[in-house]
Amino acid sequence: MIEFQNVSKWFGALQVLRDVNATVAKGTTTVLCGPSGSGKSTLIRTVNRLEPIQQGKITLAGLDIYAKDIDVNVLRSGIGFVFQQFNLFPHLSVVENVMLPLLRIRKQSRAQARPVAMQMLERVGLADKAHSLPADISGGQSQRVAIARSLILKPEVLVLDEPTSALDPEMVGEVLKLLRELSADGITMMCVTHEMGFAREVADRIWFLRNGTLTFDAEPTAFFSDDAHHDVRNFLSAVRKNH
Amino acid sequence: MLEIIQEYWLLLLIGEYPHGKLGGLAMTLIISFVSLIVTFPCAVLIALARTGKPGIIQSIANGFVHSVRAIPLLMLIFWAYFAVPMIIGFPIDAAFTLIVAIVIYQTAYLGEIIAAGITGLPKGQREAAAALGLGYIPTMFRIILPQAIFNVIPGIVNQLTTIIKESSLGSIIAVSELSYVMLQVNSNEVTKPLQIFGILAAVYFVLCFALSQATNWLERRISSRRTGQVVVEAVA
Ligand SMILES: Nc1ncnc2c1ncn2[C@@H]1O[C@H](COP(=O)(O)OP(=O)(O)OP(=O)(O)O)[C@@H](O)[C@H]1O
Ligand SMILES: [Mg+2]
Repeated sequence: MIEFQNVSKWFGALQVLRDVNATVAKGTTTVLCGPSGSGKSTLIRTVNRLEPIQQGKITLAGLDIYAKDIDVNVLRSGIGFVFQQFNLFPHLSVVENVMLPLLRIRKQSRAQARPVAMQMLERVGLADKAHSLPADISGGQSQRVAIARSLILKPEVLVLDEPTSALDPEMVGEVLKLLRELSADGITMMCVTHEMGFAREVADRIWFLRNGTLTFDAEPTAFFSDDAHHDVRNFLSAVRKNH
Repeated sequence: MLEIIQEYWLLLLIGEYPHGKLGGLAMTLIISFVSLIVTFPCAVLIALARTGKPGIIQSIANGFVHSVRAIPLLMLIFWAYFAVPMIIGFPIDAAFTLIVAIVIYQTAYLGEIIAAGITGLPKGQREAAAALGLGYIPTMFRIILPQAIFNVIPGIVNQLTTIIKESSLGSIIAVSELSYVMLQVNSNEVTKPLQIFGILAAVYFVLCFALSQATNWLERRISSRRTGQVVVEAVA
């Protein structure tokens, strides 16, 4: 579904992705982890061209995302993207946030879009908050709204950058539960997270990045086994200490 | 003082209307509001150009803002009043001239205020819009500008007080606004400049002080709902 071929990226003189080669199979969930600054966010942001790459090739469903006839906005509307900080639009109510892509990208009328958005809000358990402003709901609820918004155009791919890192601990569970359900429903998911329990349970593959290099790409059992790469083991013991 | 108010209050409020031209405070308010309303969309365009992609349009906008900020408004009024009719070959109405000059001038300043509102928003807002697949126009007009403009409403109201004060320059080209009317009263009543200009100052003060109180109130209301940091420098 998503293929990275020799992908390299620099910010000025700083190389942040080094010759990344990897594949995300359709319908699978890939968890990305690695130390801070290793390039996880940068890598997933290349998928919808939020970050341009300087070398290599990325294909989505077989199509080069940098091909000349690809409209970047069409590409992006086919990929759900969820941010650590939710990035809801604070001047719009919850339901208007979710409706916005239908109105502005699908060019639907409000009457068409509203029931679809309400259904999506029900799916994430927030129909009763439809008319609240983002400022008036909790972090966990905000992130579920952000997920609802990212799914409203029915993307085949959902990309999440540390979706639970900005949440109070008691709200992490509700978001992870939703992601588990989405993963089980068969969406293709790439998720940066330090929630190792989630990774072990839900991931089909775990990628470990270090200094821009994809040093490990394996199934969870291999990732969590004692003979994983020593970088991975160091990382895991560091993560466990912090939790 | 009271006799002056008694005798001239109608002139002060509406000029010679309905027997002659509308003027006085009404004219000042009309000129100010019309100027602000016309300035607003121009300022939005300048702000978009200034905060958008570098290129020819941005360079023109930068040049415009820097030029206007380096000239006194009075100079613009002189140009519009004396030079433009010579170029186009027929005279233009003085009030219209004044409004055009204020609009050009204030576009630069209000544009900077709105630009500060745009750049003050968290960059996640643009990224979220981009990630949804929104193009430039819907991103700016549906996501960025509504928030940016909301955040700088106090700055916009504040600019209205500036415009009200600036409109007094119209008296130089005989626009019958408040100051001009009072100048005429002064030439009728040669011996009472203290009272006459005292009244004039008081009217401006009440108007502008009320607006600046409104600005403070809005500032407090809005800062509680604001996202991102907007630093609007004091202008003009
Ligand atoms: N816009 C940018 N300009 C310059 N350097 C950047 C930019 N964004 C990221 N970097 C650098 O690129 C490297 C990778 O950053 P990235 O955000 O992808 O790391 P990360 O693995 O997501 O880290 P974290 O766990 O802290 O989120 C870092 O060294 C970072 O400082
Ligand atoms: Mg990151």
